[in-house]
Amino acid sequence: MSRHFSAVVLLAGLAVPAGGAAQAVPSAALRRAQQAYDNLEYRQVLSLARAALRERLAGGERARAYELLGFTYGAMDSILKAVDAFKQVVLIDPERQLDPNRVSPKAYSAFDVALRQVLLVRQLRVDSVSFVGGQGAVPLRFTVTQPARVVARAIGNGGTFAIDSGAWNGQVNLRWPARLASGDPVPAGTYTVVVDARLGQNTFSASQPIRVSHGRVDTLPSVASLPGYQFLPETEIPPQSWRPVGLAFLYTGGALVGTLGLESSSLGASSKRELGLVGGAALATGFVMMLRKPAPRPAAANILYNRLLRDQIARRNQDIAKENVARRQQVQVTVAALPK
Amino acid sequence: MTRAAPGALLLVLALRPAAGQHVTIGPQLALADYREVAPGLRYRGSGIGGAVSARRDKLSVEAAVVRLSFDPTDGSAATTGFTATQVDAWIAYDVAEYASVEVGVLHRSADPEFDAQSVGAVRVGARSFYEIGPGATVVFRANYLAAPKFSGGGRATVSLDLGLGLDVRLAGRLHGTAAYAFNRMNRKTDPGGKGEIDAPIQQTLARLGLGLAF
Repeated sequence: MSRHFSAVVLLAGLAVPAGGAAQAVPSAALRRAQQAYDNLEYRQVLSLARAALRERLAGGERARAYELLGFTYGAMDSILKAVDAFKQVVLIDPERQLDPNRVSPKAYSAFDVALRQVLLVRQLRVDSVSFVGGQGAVPLRFTVTQPARVVARAIGNGGTFAIDSGAWNGQVNLRWPARLASGDPVPAGTYTVVVDARLGQNTFSASQPIRVSHGRVDTLPSVASLPGYQFLPETEIPPQSWRPVGLAFLYTGGALVGTLGLESSSLGASSKRELGLVGGAALATGFVMMLRKPAPRPAAANILYNRLLRDQIARRNQDIAKENVARRQQVQVTVAALPK
Repeated sequence: MTRAAPGALLLVLALRPAAGQHVTIGPQLALADYREVAPGLRYRGSGIGGAVSARRDKLSVEAAVVRLSFDPTDGSAATTGFTATQVDAWIAYDVAEYASVEVGVLHRSADPEFDAQSVGAVRVGARSFYEIGPGATVVFRANYLAAPKFSGGGRATVSLDLGLGLDVRLAGRLHGTAAYAFNRMNRKTDPGGKGEIDAPIQQTLARLGLGLAF
């Protein structure tokens, strides 16, 4: 008889979740319920656990009380009640997990049924990863306990970015490239990965903080000149010549010849005083201009050369800008999950 | 005809300076020699006037007004002088780097009215201009004076006007200008209805002035 009792105690001990026995139980009723469960006094467990639930318990203690009820109902073959108790457990602590190797199959199956009857997003995990932008992705996974419309987002100072969405159930594995629509990686900073599940009126959210950091990017500076090529002056000073006085002489001579040719023979030779004044002024101006330093004039060949050089520099800078865009997009992105 | 000159001036003033545009305006002193009908009818005079010019891209406008007092020269058959007011206006369009075509008007009125011929004509011609140095430009023009009208009647199928001009930037906006004009009108008149006789008109005019460019 005593050997049989020891075996039952051993089984009951195995049925209790890991850490459950070692967990400190501040509530006296809950502590006694735990002791009664350890002693396989199931009816006493029920009354003590219910009494504990009537007290003001913290979340963990409340979950533990329901968990004792669930195990006890499972042991007493009251599966529906066990399921109800486990539903309360997972609603209080969605991450609660039972080890199938350490709990009774009845309790485990009741717990499993309970999980399927409430909408939960559980076990959201974001793996720490490091990859080159555009050549990798952040793996994240979670479990949805019921078929639901699920939206996963990353929310942070850099903005809100949709990761993925869909109608999912069970284990979901996603890969987030952590890139903007432009191809740039999402800005560095702290983000919270939020997974929202909606099924009818029921909703549930799970979140996981992460930190996104960027490696150093070596961008190329734009160029203002090309090696070996220099801009040439776009004006040149022509050499001094007799051209100004020659042109003044030509124009004045034209006026003189025209005047002499058009003079009316019947009126006699016209006065040359007026032409002398203006023609003299033109010739004097031409002479002065001949002695003066000529004005700079555009150097067409140099202007063309400079234009080609500027075009080449602009083209080179465009290439550099494109290359810099690619370099910025290919930055080393490191994503690390943070403690909640 | 007298309305043409103010109209040209208004046109010039309406062209406000802008990019590719400049306006020059200033006073002028004038010297002139005037002959009419016969070698003995000769006058020499001087006066003052003003000129304004404007350019916008290939289009340029120029107008000059001068009031001259003519006196008979030594040996002239004339006994009294007269005053004349002459208005010249041109609108030119550059057809080449150094050449433009132009149209305009010439109007010269004499006072007393019958001491000399008042004349009005339309100008059609061309001019050549060349920058002989920084800020210095010489101009040569040849105009045909079409459809001239004379106060004493008559006609002139061959009427020509030759010109020489100089514009020098003296300092900053200040320009010095000089312009020479020679015009010859082969006027023919029929005073008594006995047949046409030659009554040519010939004038040389020099204008020296300053201009302020805007």
